[in-house]
Amino acid sequence: MRRRLSFAFVCTAVLLLAGSAGLAADGQVFGKGLSGTETVALSALMAAPDEYVGKTIRVEGLVVDVCEKRGCWMELAGDQEFQSIKVKVDDGVIVFPVDLKGKRAVAEGEFTKIVLSAEQQKARMEHEKQEHGNDHAAGEPCEKDAKPGVIYMIKGTGAIVR
Amino acid sequence: MTPAARNEAGGATTAGPSAGQKWRRLLRSFHRDIGYAVAAVTVAYAVSGIAVNHITDWNPNYVIAKERVTFAPLPPSDRDTMAAAVAERVGIEAPIKDAFRQSPTKITVFFEGTTVDADIETGVAIIETSRDRPVFRDLNFLHLNHAKGWWTWIADLYAAGLIVLAVSGLVMIRGRNGFGGRGKWFFALGVAIPLAFVVLRYLG
Repeated sequence: MRRRLSFAFVCTAVLLLAGSAGLAADGQVFGKGLSGTETVALSALMAAPDEYVGKTIRVEGLVVDVCEKRGCWMELAGDQEFQSIKVKVDDGVIVFPVDLKGKRAVAEGEFTKIVLSAEQQKARMEHEKQEHGNDHAAGEPCEKDAKPGVIYMIKGTGAIVR
Repeated sequence: MTPAARNEAGGATTAGPSAGQKWRRLLRSFHRDIGYAVAAVTVAYAVSGIAVNHITDWNPNYVIAKERVTFAPLPPSDRDTMAAAVAERVGIEAPIKDAFRQSPTKITVFFEGTTVDADIETGVAIIETSRDRPVFRDLNFLHLNHAKGWWTWIADLYAAGLIVLAVSGLVMIRGRNGFGGRGKWFFALGVAIPLAFVVLRYLG
């Protein structure tokens, strides 16, 4: 009898703990989830990015790519074609699984502008190539063509994936 | 009355364990039982530790397969037409979940568990399928505290258990196999190796 009770206790504890993991009724919650910030359309963001730099924003869209090894970023496509933005999170603080690809997500964080030198741009391209392997479809820019540039991203603090 | 006094008084009692012996016995019991309790998580963390140490060489969480296929180029069209045409050309019959065009000629088509990254102009597509790496994904989930919440506290408790194991392990054996004997040399080795890397960090 005592053995059965112990077994039941362990099972209940495991189920309760599993139930406390980050699943909300409205989707899978990452990090701090979402606050009351208003959603900005990606097209509006891209039309005047400097207006949003330093502000906490929320974007919504299709998850088109995810960091395969560490889950430390995901890329969201917005309301218009050919536009996407990277949501970068601190390594280990938030981890996006690769099966988010093709799902709809809402992400929140600080909109950030990063100015890259040609060297930094080259290093970034090499890093991305390493992450993806050399298997991308033809026509990807090559490291030797790296030019100084500006990239915008969201330093993500939370997200909900549906 | 001390055992010696009892003997002098003609008592028949034998000498009991000293305070030090009692303390060591208690320590051994603690060490043994905590050892049982943390054994499974220690193995889990150690295996995951080895796996993520080599993250530059492999993906410890997922098995990702990428297959390069070629197909007859397609004319640019709207997103849904392109996605359906790509699915047909690469031979995937599963329903399309969604699609994204990176440019007028590049499209990513999402299926359940499969992603196709295609260039319709060159007729090159990468079919990517991913699945969890068995066992490792779960061990990494625990070790890297992706579970968060309650697991954070359990992991803290586990870490405290390891500290107790380490400290009790140092002092629970006396004699030439104890810390005062050969133990101190092994301990010194265990300190010296990581310390050397820290020193090198500042020198380098």
